Amino acid sequence: MVKTSNLSSFLWEDAPDENKFSECVHCGMCLEACPTYQETGLEHHSPRGRVYLIKSAAEGKLQLNNYFKEPIDSCLACRACETACPSGVQVGALIEETRGQLYHATPAKGAGRVVQKLFLRDIFPSPKRMQLLGKMTRLYQKSGLQRSARKLKLLRVLPAHLQEMEAALPKLKTSPLLGRGGELYSAYGEKRATVAMITGCVMDVVYSDVNEATLNVLRRNGCDVWIPKAQKCCGALHLHAGDREQAKQLAKHNIDVFLSNEVDAIIINAAGCGSTLKEYDELLKNDVRYAERSHLFAEKTKDVSEFLVDLGLIAPKGKLDMKVTYHDACHLAHAQGIRQAPREILEMIPGLVVEAMPDSDRCCGSAGIYNITQPEMASQLLDRKMNDIPSGCDAVAMGNPGCMMQFQVGVVKHHRSEQIVHTIQLLNDAYEREDSDGGMPT
Amino acid sequence: MIDAPLDEKRKQQMIDALSRVVGKKSILYRYEDVMAYECDGYTIHKGLPAAVVFPSNTEEVAAIVSYLHQQQIPFIPRGAGTGLSGGATALNGEVIISLVRMNKLLHVDYDNRRAVVQPGYINLKLSNSIASKGYYYAPDPSSQATCTIGGNVGENAGGAHCLKYGVTTNHVLGLEVVLPNGQIRRFGGTLDTPGYDVLGLLTGSEGTLAIVTEITVRILKKPQEVSTVLALFDKVTDASQAASDIIACGIIPAALEMMDAMAIHGVESGNYPVGYPKDLAAVLIIEVDGIAAGLQEQIEEIMQVCKNHHVREVRKAKDAAERARWWANRKTAFGAMGTISPDYLVQDGVIPRSKLPEVLERIGQISKQYGLRIANVFHAGDGNLHPLILFDSRVEGETERAVEAGSAVLKACADAGGSITGEHGVGVEKMEDMRFIFNDIEIEAQMQLRDVFNPNSLCNPHKMFPKPARCVEMKRLSREVPAVNI
Ligand SMILES: Cc1cc2nc3c(=O)[nH]c(=O)nc-3n(C[C@H](O)[C@H](O)[C@H](O)COP(=O)(O)OP(=O)(O)OC[C@H]3O[C@@H](n4cnc5c(N)ncnc54)[C@H](O)[C@@H]3O)c2cc1C
Ligand code: SF4
Ligand code: SF4
Repeated sequence: MVKTSNLSSFLWEDAPDENKFSECVHCGMCLEACPTYQETGLEHHSPRGRVYLIKSAAEGKLQLNNYFKEPIDSCLACRACETACPSGVQVGALIEETRGQLYHATPAKGAGRVVQKLFLRDIFPSPKRMQLLGKMTRLYQKSGLQRSARKLKLLRVLPAHLQEMEAALPKLKTSPLLGRGGELYSAYGEKRATVAMITGCVMDVVYSDVNEATLNVLRRNGCDVWIPKAQKCCGALHLHAGDREQAKQLAKHNIDVFLSNEVDAIIINAAGCGSTLKEYDELLKNDVRYAERSHLFAEKTKDVSEFLVDLGLIAPKGKLDMKVTYHDACHLAHAQGIRQAPREILEMIPGLVVEAMPDSDRCCGSAGIYNITQPEMASQLLDRKMNDIPSGCDAVAMGNPGCMMQFQVGVVKHHRSEQIVHTIQLLNDAYEREDSDGGMPT
Repeated sequence: MIDAPLDEKRKQQMIDALSRVVGKKSILYRYEDVMAYECDGYTIHKGLPAAVVFPSNTEEVAAIVSYLHQQQIPFIPRGAGTGLSGGATALNGEVIISLVRMNKLLHVDYDNRRAVVQPGYINLKLSNSIASKGYYYAPDPSSQATCTIGGNVGENAGGAHCLKYGVTTNHVLGLEVVLPNGQIRRFGGTLDTPGYDVLGLLTGSEGTLAIVTEITVRILKKPQEVSTVLALFDKVTDASQAASDIIACGIIPAALEMMDAMAIHGVESGNYPVGYPKDLAAVLIIEVDGIAAGLQEQIEEIMQVCKNHHVREVRKAKDAAERARWWANRKTAFGAMGTISPDYLVQDGVIPRSKLPEVLERIGQISKQYGLRIANVFHAGDGNLHPLILFDSRVEGETERAVEAGSAVLKACADAGGSITGEHGVGVEKMEDMRFIFNDIEIEAQMQLRDVFNPNSLCNPHKMFPKPARCVEMKRLSREVPAVNI
């Protein structure tokens, strides 16, 4: 008979799944894959150690206090361990479930609580408020406020890492794509598929030009694109922070919205959101009403790069004379297993020279809001990442807005000159070059 | 020696003293922080260390050890903690000295084919960092992506490719160690030092003689060509006979590995499946390397031997990628067992190659007798057998049964004229099983040898040798062993 422990320290809904942690045989094959273990050499800051702590808490040997919380918080949720683990232990999901428990057991206090509530509960779930935040930032940058603030050194009141982020904040050029025009965009040329597009919240506010590029590329490849206005944040940041309840609300809302129309695929260009969207079925596994539909939703969700390569990318003819390197976003490479598709896209761009980055799939330290909550580790990882960029590159390409912001910080901090771009932007540039070289698309 | 957990006051004094050596950030002692150090890759016996210290150089190791020696507080060196016999586990609240932050490659001397590393340097990193110059480090335990070279020295680790190239001890040219009294000593360093083979003694001593703080290893030129054959069999006896015959016809493969049906079931459920047919009884992976000329003939000979033994299918890897896939599958075999069982106990028996069919049959009986599944992974070339006993520690009594079954397996190996460990060491796991191959006098002789280096057994106590069931160890406890200067 299996003794299920009734001493468990996990008292709330969605407790870490025993089947998941009992798969870990403590072999340690994951140790060196883990960025936080590489930096610290601490067993409890390794995947094996974290799983062991989770198991110990489930057995009632550990309480959910701040000492237990520390190594759980310091996990990047980058899932490099999952790639390394022979046994297929879902460390990422275990960490998220544990954070869900800690969210109840050790509620954030003081300023942390205010920020958490403001961003996770009030701003992110509301596209309108996200857009407002974007507007304010654009105003801040345009009105000269940014310049004055910098000049008056007002920003010194911020911790060093937030100052670095402020300095690196990209110029928000265009307004968000969501809610700008209509909902429907038709394919250029012969129609090959009908897709829905998720605009993402950070992506749409900070990098709406990437969304524009994505829309354009999809249309060029024969897709009718539907951008439902009712869509909301995917809930990834909430999950990382342990706010599962809000994450589930958002998931159910998005499933209702996107499955209300028949589409071939639901496209996302942000790796972090993509992996969360593809795991809606895991998030809602205890909700019978959504079991089937969350599964369908997860199956239909495709990263833009994998979708295009599967569909058969129409080769761009415009030439880009530049040298680039590619960074594997954790949530693309480790969480979704997508490594080849973005590289294939880059290889297809005429003139583009792609040079490999060593350890390209080691986390850059961005990891959702990790660079805000764990600045020290994030900055160590960023420094290593910057040193890994091969010399003489004009740009670094990647598939995740969080990584793009983190790289941007790195470029400013290390006085470098590389452009930070989304893979799809390069593809779009090549198409646009093709147009300017010979006529507009029909 | 203090053989009971320290009281709070002395523990605090110790933490203060060690913090002064390594700094506050390099010592752990809180319950939550040391919990993850409760065991290594062997999870049946556990114990919380009083503290875990992280020195960053030899001098710090020496200072830590001097203090602990002066206070007579026992301690244990630990690398990555992938050991499979509990060698790095603190059974009685010892202090763990973790070498993972001493992780530098200090020097590579290509002319003399040597590299000098710190003990926490990861095995695979050495091969990776000298690969571009055409060199590699030969001992390749399956855990090589994470285990430390210090830990390899501790266990005299072997690997799939040790059949032709030898195990760790054949590649260690020099050692710097900190003795259990805190003194720093160097041994070897040049080829063939006269006098006793101290390097040989220290390699495989499982942290019971000294703490290794620097290692000079041999590096090898990569072979000109490598060729790998995969052979699928319907009967285990055919596969083992083929393995025997390959060696018998004079070929020395770089590696000769075997997995049985249960092991195949495990790896195929894991993260790196090859796509083996479901009804297979055994698979052999045979690799030859060397100068390109003549390799093809060896391959043909190997394939012929397999055919002589009713092989279902035999083929050569078509490229490096396919070869890498076969190896990734084989090298993750232990970990992959997690997909078919919550726990496993891996055994490490050695048997004469020719006895394989009968020992496997005996293991089959043991499996039935104890009602536990056993998967077999086998370095067939050198007779090193790894039966993986699958169990569920949450089921009442199953852990105990697994331990008994493991012991029975080792007995079968010893009875067949073999040994109880090939490469994983004795640790805590096989202390009692030492009696299968040594009598009291032989065990006592080894303990006397330990005393020369480690007089009060301060360094990794209660490991490797059977519990003092008889008068021998009792007698030892009553007389204070004088410290010897080496
Ligand atoms: C999945 C898996 C596969 C494995 N495959 C193999 C294999 O193919 N071949 C093989 O031989 N082993 C294998 N092992 C066992 C293990 O990886 C090896 O024994 C390895 O050498 C241990 O290294 P470590 O750094 O983890 O050492 P640890 O486990 O930390 O320590 C091992 C022993 O060495 C001692 N020690 C550690 N560092 C030092 C030091 N600096 N000075 C003195 N003593 C020290 C410790 O006290 C302990 O007794 C495998 C283990 C796993 C989990
Ligand atoms: S998710 Fe990343 S940081 Fe977290 S344990 Fe796994 S490898 Fe380490
Ligand atoms: S590799 Fe997988 S099974 Fe092994 S310790 Fe890490 S999580 Fe556990």
